[in-house]
Amino acid sequence: MTAPFPTPMTDASQRLLSPEDLEAALRDIGTRRYHNLHPFHRLLHDGKLDKDQVRAWALNRYYYQAMIPVKDAAVLARMEDASLRRVWRQRIVDHDGDAPGDGGIERWLKLAEGVGFRRDYVESTQGILSATRFSVDAYVHFVKERSLLEAIASSLTEMFSPTIISERVAGMLKNYDFITKDTLAYFDKRLTQAPRDAEFAIDYVKQHATTPELQRQAMAALTFKCTVLWTQLDALYFSYVAPGMTPPDAWVPGTGLVAEVAEVAQAAGTGTVRSADVPRLPRGVRLRHDEVRGQHVLLAPERTFDLDANAVAVLSLVDGQSSVRDIAVKLAETFVADPDVIEADVLVMLNDLATKRVLER
Amino acid sequence: MNAITPNTPSLPAPVGLLAELTHRCPLRCPYCSNPLELDRRSGELDTATWQRVLTEAAGLGVLHVHLSGGEPTARNDIVEITQTCARLGLYSNLITSGVGGALAKLDALYDAGLDHVQLSVQGVDAANAEKIGGLKNAQPQKLAFAERVTQLGLPLTLNSVIHRGNIHEVEGFIDLAVKLGAKRLEVAHTQYYGWAYVNRAALMPDKAQVDQSIRIVEAARERLKGQLVIDLVVPDYYAKYPKACAGGWGRKLMNVTPAGKVLPCHAAETIKHLEFWYVSDHSLADIWANSPAFTAYRGTDWMKEPCRSCDRREKDWGGCRCQALALAGDAAATDPACSLSPLHTKVRELATEEAAETPPDYVYRTIGSNVDRAAPPPLKEDAPL
Repeated sequence: MTAPFPTPMTDASQRLLSPEDLEAALRDIGTRRYHNLHPFHRLLHDGKLDKDQVRAWALNRYYYQAMIPVKDAAVLARMEDASLRRVWRQRIVDHDGDAPGDGGIERWLKLAEGVGFRRDYVESTQGILSATRFSVDAYVHFVKERSLLEAIASSLTEMFSPTIISERVAGMLKNYDFITKDTLAYFDKRLTQAPRDAEFAIDYVKQHATTPELQRQAMAALTFKCTVLWTQLDALYFSYVAPGMTPPDAWVPGTGLVAEVAEVAQAAGTGTVRSADVPRLPRGVRLRHDEVRGQHVLLAPERTFDLDANAVAVLSLVDGQSSVRDIAVKLAETFVADPDVIEADVLVMLNDLATKRVLER
Repeated sequence: MNAITPNTPSLPAPVGLLAELTHRCPLRCPYCSNPLELDRRSGELDTATWQRVLTEAAGLGVLHVHLSGGEPTARNDIVEITQTCARLGLYSNLITSGVGGALAKLDALYDAGLDHVQLSVQGVDAANAEKIGGLKNAQPQKLAFAERVTQLGLPLTLNSVIHRGNIHEVEGFIDLAVKLGAKRLEVAHTQYYGWAYVNRAALMPDKAQVDQSIRIVEAARERLKGQLVIDLVVPDYYAKYPKACAGGWGRKLMNVTPAGKVLPCHAAETIKHLEFWYVSDHSLADIWANSPAFTAYRGTDWMKEPCRSCDRREKDWGGCRCQALALAGDAAATDPACSLSPLHTKVRELATEEAAETPPDYVYRTIGSNVDRAAPPPLKEDAPL
């Protein structure tokens, strides 16, 4: 099978390298190809991206995070040695956690929520770029199809990640007011996990890449992995920086977010009606007597509420000045009843109308 | 006020009047609910006649008036008509595309006492929306219009008609409604009458897409409870039971066309043998009680089996007469959207098949075209599809 990605055809690929030289050659791939060199990352870390561009990154990168345990499980499934599996399975635990609410994927979701996304939207992955999906899926296929050595070698980008994480956390905290330390909690763990994982993987590769051909395969695998990461940033740059060509169905700013939702809800005066609140009928909602049918109705957008005598008594007192408590007290006087009991009934009714968006406070 | 009263003592009064003020519209949506043969400006009712119709409607018991079209703001007297509604205590609902002169008239409509605005949105992505509506630069106009509606404090409903060209945008419609400050969103799957019937193959989504859209709406309803009310109209062809069209024939609604013809529903003219009366010849009360078009399918007497003995006959009233005619070739047949119709399986298969094919180009709505012949023929029980 021919390698789909170019392998550096240096002298190093034609003769057997010492383990130390092999490690140096692998590290050299990182210094030339790792995605910290990508223009998108430079923009991200230097604070040159706007909030929506950071969102696009967080959203797309989620798919990579979410598929990492799938990738690692595929690697694990190919390991016939229990001692290898014991080490490797820790990666899955790190990402998935031992319980809901724990683990790297969860922390990435927190990051996505931190920049304003709805969790379910992120998890659906429906807004990610197709290039993200293709790259990540290619990685999963790679570790299934290639040798175990290549699968393990492809994870060696972890050797380079502590650098990028430090740059990223510092840069993002400094440059974006919408990013907090909590939002970036994902990276705290990775700072210790990645070197531990990388150490194991590099030892394995150094020990098992015992011929020039195997060493070449290991280098090609790492090169491939670098392109998996690089391509994802190419796609982000192309869609959300320049020329700004967003493919159909990909996320567009303003969608999938929860933050604005909360702001709008506050502004529109929605939410639970409580005793001290002053309820009012907004424009477009009217209490009216219907002479033809001989009853009161509440007219609202696209619907009519038939009202019984109690409802009419309450709504007649909704004047935009009286609180729910005031209304209950007045009704209690009229009907000679306990104002607390009346208030409870009034709250149920008014909250029902508020839920239907025909009453505000 | 005309003294004629309904001749059936139990006849309920209509609650809604759909006033199609004009068929003129800057948009050319391929699913337009207007008839294929559109009324021309020269044939439209004048202001005084509309005011008389509204006065009669209020006397008859109508509570809601839906000022619709076409594009209702294309009428020069839209503000005057709205004022008349307010004076009569009628709840006025402007059903608008938000383009053309709509924004320019909005403040005056607000001052005239307009109660509610229902704004159509064809898509979330501007290019897609404008392709569907057949009008360049429509989307920014709509967004600006929506912004002014909420600025004025008028309640806003967004209406999105869903089909295969925008079904991937359901989530986006929800987000857009929230962003624009709408209180209601209608996620209305296309109903295949009129222009939508002609364009059915271009519009029909597949079952999986429909199911997905329903799941999205249900999740959003829960999430946005108390903030956004979402009304969902599911597509007939994939339903189990038909909908009670217009709340039942001649039970709740009257529809007055630009030329003054009074219909039980906006598609009723497709039933060619019906006799419709005009507001120029009869009072609304007379039409409601006695017009042959209204009495033809009112109640349950006209029903055949399986409707006649069905437990649901007073729930969905046999479904839609126009759809029964279009699909079964008989307006008194059970609506083939109903799982009890012998044609139901065929309808489902037809929808599945059309949704699987490459969609043909839209036949855009235009005044004075002759597209009747492009409409798909009725199904036959024994004929292969």
